[in-house]
Amino acid sequence: MHRHIKHGISLITLLLLSPAVAAETLTDADEISRRANQAAYYHGDDGRSEARMIITDSQGREQLRQFTILRHDREDGGDQDFLVVFSRPSDVRGMVFLVNKHAGADDDRWLYLPGLDLVKRISAGDKRTSFVGSHYFYEDVSGRGLERDTHELVETTEEHYILKHTPKQPGEVEFAYYMTWIDRQTFLPMKIEYTDDKEETYRRVEVLKVEDIQGYPTVIHNRTSDLRGGGNTEMQFRFISYDLGIPEDVFSQRSLRNSPREWLQRR
Amino acid sequence: MTLRGVLLCLLLSCGALAQENDDWGDDDWNGDDWGEDPWAEEEAGLEWTGFVEAGGGVRLSSFGPTDFTLGEGRARVETQYFWQAIDFSFKGDLGYDAVIDDEILQLRELAAAFGIGSNIDVKLGRQVLTWGTGDLLFLNDLFPKDFVSFFSGRDNEYLKAPGDAVKISFFNKLFNVDFVWNHDFDPDEYINGERLVFFSPEAGRVVSPASKLRADTPDDSEFALRLYKTVNAVEYAFYVYDGWFKQPNAVNNRGVPAFARLRTYGASVRRSLGPGLANMEVAWYDSMKDDDGGNPRIPNDQFRLLGGYEWEAVKNFNVGLQYYLEWTQDHDELISNSPAPRFEPDEFRHVLTNRLTLKRMRDKLTLSLFTFFSPSDGDAYLRPTVEYRYSDAWQYSAGANLFIGKDDHTFFGQLEDNSNLYARVRYYY
Repeated sequence: MHRHIKHGISLITLLLLSPAVAAETLTDADEISRRANQAAYYHGDDGRSEARMIITDSQGREQLRQFTILRHDREDGGDQDFLVVFSRPSDVRGMVFLVNKHAGADDDRWLYLPGLDLVKRISAGDKRTSFVGSHYFYEDVSGRGLERDTHELVETTEEHYILKHTPKQPGEVEFAYYMTWIDRQTFLPMKIEYTDDKEETYRRVEVLKVEDIQGYPTVIHNRTSDLRGGGNTEMQFRFISYDLGIPEDVFSQRSLRNSPREWLQRR
Repeated sequence: MTLRGVLLCLLLSCGALAQENDDWGDDDWNGDDWGEDPWAEEEAGLEWTGFVEAGGGVRLSSFGPTDFTLGEGRARVETQYFWQAIDFSFKGDLGYDAVIDDEILQLRELAAAFGIGSNIDVKLGRQVLTWGTGDLLFLNDLFPKDFVSFFSGRDNEYLKAPGDAVKISFFNKLFNVDFVWNHDFDPDEYINGERLVFFSPEAGRVVSPASKLRADTPDDSEFALRLYKTVNAVEYAFYVYDGWFKQPNAVNNRGVPAFARLRTYGASVRRSLGPGLANMEVAWYDSMKDDDGGNPRIPNDQFRLLGGYEWEAVKNFNVGLQYYLEWTQDHDELISNSPAPRFEPDEFRHVLTNRLTLKRMRDKLTLSLFTFFSPSDGDAYLRPTVEYRYSDAWQYSAGANLFIGKDDHTFFGQLEDNSNLYARVRYYY
């Protein structure tokens, strides 16, 4: 039944890609945000991708990270799990990050440090901090819950829905609001800009390249920039595949100590 | 060990690394594919990684076997190999320790991991093992620790000493089970006077013995068991250990420090609570040869308890607080039978810990202070550290191990003359 619904959704995605259907114009900000969240985080029932980041600081010095991400949706558009296994550089090699994401509640997150054989749990509040030294936040990896913000449609252009998102708990986050430019055809958020309470836009996430993978428009290159302090992180994704049938138990604490080799290998 | 020795040691290990690894510099990030860059190839065969490190540490007191607590250069080599669904792993350190004028030759991991069916994982061989919920406090984790490394300024990783063990993990819906069996008891790397001084109840003071202390170590097996399950993101675990105290806190018939028989039972829970994480752990230490506390040569039974909470107080600033209790049973018996009652521990030993971590420059710079404070013992241990991750290859760290105590015989107070400052440079390849 679940799979059946999924096929329906991928069919809709395909239809949306065709110009004939793209004429439909949405006006409900919550619905646009929901579809954008779906497009950015919920393609297929599960997915696998390799990723690497190049982190450039304000002085132009570069660092790199390489990892493989596995994802599994417990409920389409709802609870899902992520497993991130690091391979480079040497000091993070073997590190594993597990997220059990709960729609409407705080995520549960664990980090395995192989040198100490230590399973470290990460506190719920600690989410808008740097993800392994990059300009991405932990929250960017698994997504920010839709219910945490109020959504407002500001403008509809030829290509984008432009939305303004205001946090319901302003004390929890460093931004006053953020704007997203959502592609009207793919519903992928193509640009996100974060603005503080002094009306200064200090952070930007932008998509640099999208590719069709198994019928799903997929971001394969993006960049997050620190507009205040300088520096940025570019992230590239390769060897992406969806609907692999990754079992739910791959996303348990067992995988922290024993990486699920079968699913980490390229397909 | 002279200052020249330390400098030479630093120069030798750094000089060998003068050329920066630029393997990743040629990646074509502008291109449409990963092209010729090395990341495009899936790893096959043996991949060698590791680091080279030089470290020096100076004792702040003039009392001790050496002026330096740390002075070494070491190279770490790690690799992994997959063969027929068996995962072979290797981690080893090779180097020179100038403080004790000896080579460093440590095999930290040489193990084979494989699955049996879909619910059993086995890891056989030398490995580092950890469980429990405490932060630098261990109740149910009776795997070997290297406190000498920890107190003298080596990387935190070295606090966990490797052991030779068979670890069998069963996974099922009811609960998961880890069973660890060790053919030869592995004690902690205890303080033996070679590098760090300690309190001797016989002498009644802190001593720096001419020859290092050698405890009478049992030649027998030990085992540890953990049952655990996560229900609604609350982590529950139950523990059993059967072996010996990990520190030589008993005395044998010949008056030599020895390890007493020990069996422990414990439980822990860890969960999200408000903005942070809360944990609670208890353990019953059954000193099997001293049921009524009447034998002063053998430690008494103890009940241990830990409660902790950690959260991100301000963005990039984390705070962790713990309360720890050691309740010595039959304390009256202990005091009335002890040859030196004033050196015996209090019935209730309370310890408070505080970890403050400040991250800057997207985690490149980490400032941290870990404090142990015991109001009952009147002693404290402070661990300030600065870590700077200059690049993917170069990392610098510096810090101090500061021990303060009003008495010489308490847990941290006896280590006062081991207080030190240290610095390390590490190059990852």
